[in-house]
Amino acid sequence: MSENGFEPLIIVYTCYWCSYTAADLAGTSRLQYPPNVRIIRVQCSGMVHPNLVIDALTNGADGVLMCGCHEGDCHYLEGNLRAKSRADAIKMMLDDFALEPERYRLEWVAASEGPRFAQVMTEMVEQVKKVGPSPYK
Amino acid sequence: MPVKVAQEWFAICGGCEVTVLDVGEPLLDLLPELEFVHMPVIMDHKLFGQTGENSTADIPEADVGIITGGIRNEENRHLAELMRSRVKFLIAMGSCACYGGIPAMANQFALEDLYERVYRGNSTTDSGETPKGAVPALLDRVYAVDEVVKVDLKLPGCPTTPDMFAGAVLHLLKGTPFALEEKSVCDQCPTLREKKSVAALKRPLEPIEGAGEPLETVRCLMEQGFLCQGPATRAGCGGMDGGTPRCIKAYMPCRGCYGPVRDDANPMVDMMGALSTIGLDPAQIPDRAAQFNRFAGAKGRLRAAPKR
Repeated sequence: MSENGFEPLIIVYTCYWCSYTAADLAGTSRLQYPPNVRIIRVQCSGMVHPNLVIDALTNGADGVLMCGCHEGDCHYLEGNLRAKSRADAIKMMLDDFALEPERYRLEWVAASEGPRFAQVMTEMVEQVKKVGPSPYK
Repeated sequence: MPVKVAQEWFAICGGCEVTVLDVGEPLLDLLPELEFVHMPVIMDHKLFGQTGENSTADIPEADVGIITGGIRNEENRHLAELMRSRVKFLIAMGSCACYGGIPAMANQFALEDLYERVYRGNSTTDSGETPKGAVPALLDRVYAVDEVVKVDLKLPGCPTTPDMFAGAVLHLLKGTPFALEEKSVCDQCPTLREKKSVAALKRPLEPIEGAGEPLETVRCLMEQGFLCQGPATRAGCGGMDGGTPRCIKAYMPCRGCYGPVRDDANPMVDMMGALSTIGLDPAQIPDRAAQFNRFAGAKGRLRAAPKR
């Protein structure tokens, strides 16, 4: 529990080929990370439309994290580059919806990076705890 | 017995009323079956009685009510509620009534800022007090009609096409259901899509490649670099039989006048997603909120920037 008892709800979109495998690895390696994250597996980070992020944030999620393969490693060649250019648009739109920039993050996590996956989750939860609950809750 | 129709207009330019007249010859077939009991734009029927003898405003009972325009002030809200209580079936006609329309662009500013700008801060205006009492007070923002009263049918468009209006009325007379398709303007656009990325944005006044040639040979305007709002806009402006969208027919990019494809969608998010997907730098788009919500500013889509 955080000091003020606020437990954020964080939606994590992970890509099938790298980041979800990393989540699996974190699990099988018995690494600990906060239970605030809800992982949604998608085929590629490039299929996460900005709608999904904005809708999540305006309908009760406190933070959204998008995880994909490292640049150049995308199973679909350039899906993660598409995710990257969408991330720029999402970051701009957060402001239009009066949401703090800390609520959204795009991270590359490769299949072998189990410890890094756990670390990114921990960081994201800490980061959102600092900003507090979503104004849309 | 003819169907009684009452119509009232609020924050609107009057274009949707012209649509009714623009129906043309089919209107002659419809007219014997319709009886307009209240319609300020074409007939002299006053809310407080013909000589102003009544102390309260009233709208005659009718089978169908049509509201055009968004809800901007207290009078609009009162009349909308009155209309709802007097009619069996309420139609919100035009994008102003459905989504706020052009007047709802004012929703980007707090009411006090608007007053300041209009009555005081403007260099071409003599500064004065904000009018009080003599005119109905403005609401805090522009509302779509269905935010205030229950609406049975929405006919968006700026203006609604005459055949959509005629089609809806015909269905109502026959008692058959009428619904708009959830399709985007792109679904009905005949231009060529080559899935190539866009290098840079063009201004609407720059020449369009292939203007004047058959539309089937013209490259998608979005791919040419024009901000065409087709992907995030409801289809229907080409007519009920799925004709070519009106602006495209005139070699102009779609401006989004039919509002979002789904009622709860936000065209700004859709368009920013679409543009960043085809490789355009989102920072290039000036004033994205108003640009993409030009006709859909009510329902919280446009709002004053929060003070942090």
